[in-house]
Amino acid sequence: MRALRAYLRSPAGVIGAVLLVAVIAAALSADALFPRDPLALAGRPLQWPGANPRLPLGTDNLGRDIAAFLFHGARVSLLIGLVASVVAVGIGVMVGAIAGFYGGWVDDLLMRITEAFQTVPNFILLLVLVAVFGSELSVITIAIGLVGWTAPCRLVRAEFLSLRNREFVLAARGLGMRDLPLILGEVLPNALPPVIVYASVVMAIAILLESALAFLGLSDPNIASWGNMIGAGRAVLRTEWYVSAIPGGAILVTVLAFSLVGQGLNDALNPRMQVL
Amino acid sequence: MELGRRQALSGAGGAMLGGLLPGLALGQGTPQRGGTLTVQLTSEQRVLNPAIQASTGVYVMASKIVEPLVDLDAAGEPTGVLAERWESAPDGLTHTFHLRRGVTWHDGKPFTSKDVQFSAMECWKKILNYGTTLYLFLEAVETPDDTTAVFKFSKPMPQGLLLRALPDLGHVIPAHVYAGTDIRTNPANTAPIGTGPFKFVEYQRGQYLIAERNPNYWRGNGLPYLDRIVWRFIADRAAAAAAIESGQVQFSPYSGLSLSDIARLSKDGRFNVGTKGNEGNTAHTVCEFNLRRKELSDVRVRRAIAHALDLDFFIENFLFGYAKLGTGPIPSSSAPFYVPRPAPYPFDKARAEALLDEAGYKRPSRNGMRFAQPLKLLPAPWGEYTLNFATFIQQSLREIGVRVEIEARDAPGFLTGVYRNHDFDLTTGWHQYRNDPAVSTTVWFRTGSPVGAPWTNQYGYDNPEMDRVIDAAATELDPARRKALYQDFVKIAIEDVPVHTAVEHAFISVYSKRLMNSHTNPRWSSSSWADAWLAPT
Repeated sequence: MRALRAYLRSPAGVIGAVLLVAVIAAALSADALFPRDPLALAGRPLQWPGANPRLPLGTDNLGRDIAAFLFHGARVSLLIGLVASVVAVGIGVMVGAIAGFYGGWVDDLLMRITEAFQTVPNFILLLVLVAVFGSELSVITIAIGLVGWTAPCRLVRAEFLSLRNREFVLAARGLGMRDLPLILGEVLPNALPPVIVYASVVMAIAILLESALAFLGLSDPNIASWGNMIGAGRAVLRTEWYVSAIPGGAILVTVLAFSLVGQGLNDALNPRMQVL
Repeated sequence: MELGRRQALSGAGGAMLGGLLPGLALGQGTPQRGGTLTVQLTSEQRVLNPAIQASTGVYVMASKIVEPLVDLDAAGEPTGVLAERWESAPDGLTHTFHLRRGVTWHDGKPFTSKDVQFSAMECWKKILNYGTTLYLFLEAVETPDDTTAVFKFSKPMPQGLLLRALPDLGHVIPAHVYAGTDIRTNPANTAPIGTGPFKFVEYQRGQYLIAERNPNYWRGNGLPYLDRIVWRFIADRAAAAAAIESGQVQFSPYSGLSLSDIARLSKDGRFNVGTKGNEGNTAHTVCEFNLRRKELSDVRVRRAIAHALDLDFFIENFLFGYAKLGTGPIPSSSAPFYVPRPAPYPFDKARAEALLDEAGYKRPSRNGMRFAQPLKLLPAPWGEYTLNFATFIQQSLREIGVRVEIEARDAPGFLTGVYRNHDFDLTTGWHQYRNDPAVSTTVWFRTGSPVGAPWTNQYGYDNPEMDRVIDAAATELDPARRKALYQDFVKIAIEDVPVHTAVEHAFISVYSKRLMNSHTNPRWSSSSWADAWLAPT
């Protein structure tokens, strides 16, 4: 409760939450509002927004209903954001926890592996993974997760390094607690707050990465993702800019929502920020 | 059926030419030496040897470096390049080419009839896509002396066909570089040595190809005029449009810009935009079927798919009117062989659904999908025509209860996937007509092309009657009978529809008005550019 109150005191957090709820609402209502396949031909291509009351946001250069695409795209983006950050944070927490908890050669080994991943730019690695394993949605989502795990990993490791010699950990160890329950039950819960904050950033990055892939025409062309529409709209960018701008705005709003929520969580979970 | 925009466009091209001609007599009559021509290309095939891969994507670069025996002149008539003159025996079995003297390869070695013999027998006949069919009955190339090459055929070869094929399927590569090596993997395939007006300098995959002036070019007279040609691979069409507008690029061939930008630039006074100089490269945007897939082996399913596509809508709205309905594998631009006919598969959704029902693929429920597995569609990454057509097919087939999944690939991945591994159900592509149906059209329908030869029948289509008609037409010396045989060919192709030649269009060139002496023959982008020059800014 205290955390919730702290969260609500952060204006950024509140704005972020409102935006995020709006995006989630769009994703949930997509089927009800736009029951037709968003990839289907909805009418003459390149109708400007407002020109046709049946198609409030107009059509793109492939004749698809931009409004339907926007709502259905919210699902894809949220799904990618969620799954990719679960993968990234999951791997990151596991590797970081083991490295930070045990230290020594285990830490050295895992950190060298982490660094090997960090030295390759995220997007390049993602391009390689997609080139090798194909561009289905599931592959892309997992690949985005795979390229994003290093930052949460280092974060968790740092937390574990500082927590592992605290009194409560030593006490639990003294009571004969074994490593696994100690990691999961004692250290991890105390290390999580910064990770939760960072997870929101990972989600935002995941959405941006998928859009960047789609922009290059390398995402799954069979799904209604915002990036796909931006990529298609590139061909008519100079004349019908709205085809790219509308989904671009949707990405902006969603990424902003995640970052603001992250900031709000940071304010709420950071002990140093607590006033009470 | 000519559409408004296209008409307006060709009209504009004509007006432009009229405006330039007086100018040519004055200041432009004296071509200027020097300058670098930068050309934008959307994709590359990583092959620069036109003797083993016949494709506009290869010619647009390599034909400046490697030359054919014969090319087409401004009127579209054969004109000698490495061959000076030729004669044919009345029976069509022997064709003698007298080669140009004093031509040297870029590495200094002399060009001789041995090079022609090697190129014809080892490359054109054995490896070259299209060539494997065209030169099927080529028995030998005899070389009585260094400047005479005698082509011996076991079945009659019409001289007109041979001469119209040679500009595309007659590039000569140096025997001394290739003999005794694995031709397909020879390093000269990406660092070509030729006799042409420009010499290979550097090729960086995915970035650029540079060729520079060949000072020892056999035409002399100060040719070529340009110092250098740079081909830049700019896949992003918006960036390509920006590059040509800012003057970094002077020429975008083969509809390389987005159609909306082409329409926009056609109103910009700094550029020439049009189909002139591309008449010899009329293309069809096609849908190819893999007959190995059980459902597609049934001709009723293929016809149903053809009927499901509202091509009028597609041309008007997706292609900005820069195209017209295809009426069969021989395009309307082919005066000697085309017979007007209506588009064979008009849009008729009810008929499409009925055909699928009849073939036994009923919808499991009212909006259910008819096939257990979706059809896998590989779109050719050549441009908006092929990419948008893929999306349009996906959208249209969904309406008749056929789910299509698109799998996007880059050019090499696409060519391997379709033409070597046959790992597709549907694919969109460009079929190019090259002056005579026997050059690059019938090979899409005849059996016997080696696996992996791009733009050939790799669909598992096998109709002995079709093969018979194709062979009869290719060896028929009487023009009237040849034309009649090609009507039979068109009829069978439409009936069996292994490839749906849905949309016919000429390629659109966009180039700076500084580029002079350009688009002067029907396949200019694929010709040598020896006399092209750049006016100073």
